[in-house]
Amino acid sequence: MNIPAVRSNRKKFLIMVALVFACAVGYMLIGVNLDNAKLFQYAMKIRTPKLIVMLITAFAIGGASIVFQSIINNTIVTPCLLGMNSLYTLIHTSVVFFLGSSSVIAVNANHSFAVDVVLMGIVATVIYSWIFKKTRHNVLYVLLVGTVLTSFFGSIQTTLTRVMDPNEYDSLLNTLVASFSNINTEIILFAVILLAGVIFVLRKELALLDVLTLGKAQAINLGVDYDRCIRRLLLGVTICIAVATAMVGPISFLGLIIANLSRQLFKTFRHSQLIAGSALFGMIVLVGGQLIVEHIYSYAVPVSVFITVGGGLYFLYLLLTRKKV
Amino acid sequence: MQVKELTKQYGEKTVVDAVSFDIPKGKVLSLIGPNGAGKSTVMGMISRLIAHDSGLVNFEGKDIGKWKSKELSKRLAILTQTNNIQMKLTVRELVTFGRFPYSGNRITQEDAVIIDRAIEYMELGEFQDRFIDELSGGQRQRALIAMVIAQDTEYVLLDEPTNNLDIYHATNMMKIVRRLCDELGKTVILVLHEINYAAFYSDYICAFKDGKIAKFGTVEEVMTRENLSEIYQVDFEILNIAGKPLSIYY
Repeated sequence: MNIPAVRSNRKKFLIMVALVFACAVGYMLIGVNLDNAKLFQYAMKIRTPKLIVMLITAFAIGGASIVFQSIINNTIVTPCLLGMNSLYTLIHTSVVFFLGSSSVIAVNANHSFAVDVVLMGIVATVIYSWIFKKTRHNVLYVLLVGTVLTSFFGSIQTTLTRVMDPNEYDSLLNTLVASFSNINTEIILFAVILLAGVIFVLRKELALLDVLTLGKAQAINLGVDYDRCIRRLLLGVTICIAVATAMVGPISFLGLIIANLSRQLFKTFRHSQLIAGSALFGMIVLVGGQLIVEHIYSYAVPVSVFITVGGGLYFLYLLLTRKKV
Repeated sequence: MQVKELTKQYGEKTVVDAVSFDIPKGKVLSLIGPNGAGKSTVMGMISRLIAHDSGLVNFEGKDIGKWKSKELSKRLAILTQTNNIQMKLTVRELVTFGRFPYSGNRITQEDAVIIDRAIEYMELGEFQDRFIDELSGGQRQRALIAMVIAQDTEYVLLDEPTNNLDIYHATNMMKIVRRLCDELGKTVILVLHEINYAAFYSDYICAFKDGKIAKFGTVEEVMTRENLSEIYQVDFEILNIAGKPLSIYY
């Protein structure tokens, strides 16, 4: 890359880190009583895990989205297509429907997280590893399977909620909206270990991302074991999305926004920069958004509503301004 | 490099049927033939982009499928027709990818010298910081060739390199092909639609028809009125211009 571009990207980077830092400090300190040590400690105890969860989620979704788009070779796909959102919704609805809202799995956050991760992990492995092999490594089939499964899970979920007890439904609805509260240290630790594991296992494939975006023929020409590499990355992406979704709820639509903001801002093919940019954008959107939700709307509107509305508009903008289809 | 009994089927249809030929080292070999004759599929199988159903592509004593992809990428480079690069990439960055098989993402001092030389060889110096999507078709093709040069392989495979280029750029491309062979000592194999480019710029021609080899030989052996009329089912006249047999068809 030429030197001015490197310099300006470094500057953008520093500004974004500063913004993330400002959002984080604002989130931690605004409205906290600094005079009373006990109140301060109490606030920190509640806010610290939330902040950490937001940062992890932003990183997982941001990184996974960039990788996903590069695998598909299309910058307007969203990892929602992988069907993890609707699977999450289905799992939670089924638990409440069959076991009741007072069952251990519904009440205990650890159990609920474990069930989500295991089920999503199994589905991810079956679809995105096994079917991918069976369809002779055709990414489009995988996307098609994901889309069909999304509506399949959605239909079952709708059917269940129709015949559900209204009170149960009411308590279910709360868990179906992305939220950063009610997440304990054990879950955070587990999520971090999982994500770190995925990154470690895929370290070689991640280094190949730049070459992969040249297209299949070029990647093979340059000595990349293309099919294997794509399969492993796809599985990794799905697991990252699954972990983030299991932790906070359906939020992967965020990925479309932050990945594209990062691509627009950094204008590079280097994935190290794109992924970092995407993660930083995610942190700004989540932490900043939550800050606004908590202090301006006093919790009346969840942050995912902003993400969906803003993301929808941004998606339209992307569709309309794209030069070539 | 040798091709033995190479076969490819798509469903019931056999697109390449037991094709065998030797690829002469250090020469330019053109694969020609009508649409659907299987020449691009053969190219795909030689370059490992398409898996072959049966037969053998013997590359330096080992079947191409048994080579490690990375090792192969230091000996054999392929340029296909479809290169829709979505990323914002400058010419120099594209050429740098040619060194990927050797150095991965970390470019050494030595790589930088090779990249400089490749850019200079393709006369892309003034364009090296321009983005690929801002270039004309001819310039982009030259940038891709520069990348292949940086890849520094003994074999260079080009799938219809003159496609979508005007006469000026297509002719220049063929001159570059000749230079790759004469000056850099590479073995060049290319798929061509334009018979006269094949006749003028290559050493050997392999003509395909219906998935089989219709004729393989030196330019003079293949470029006869009878051969071409049979392969293309069109009337031909052969003229001798600048010592090369060129064809007129009508």
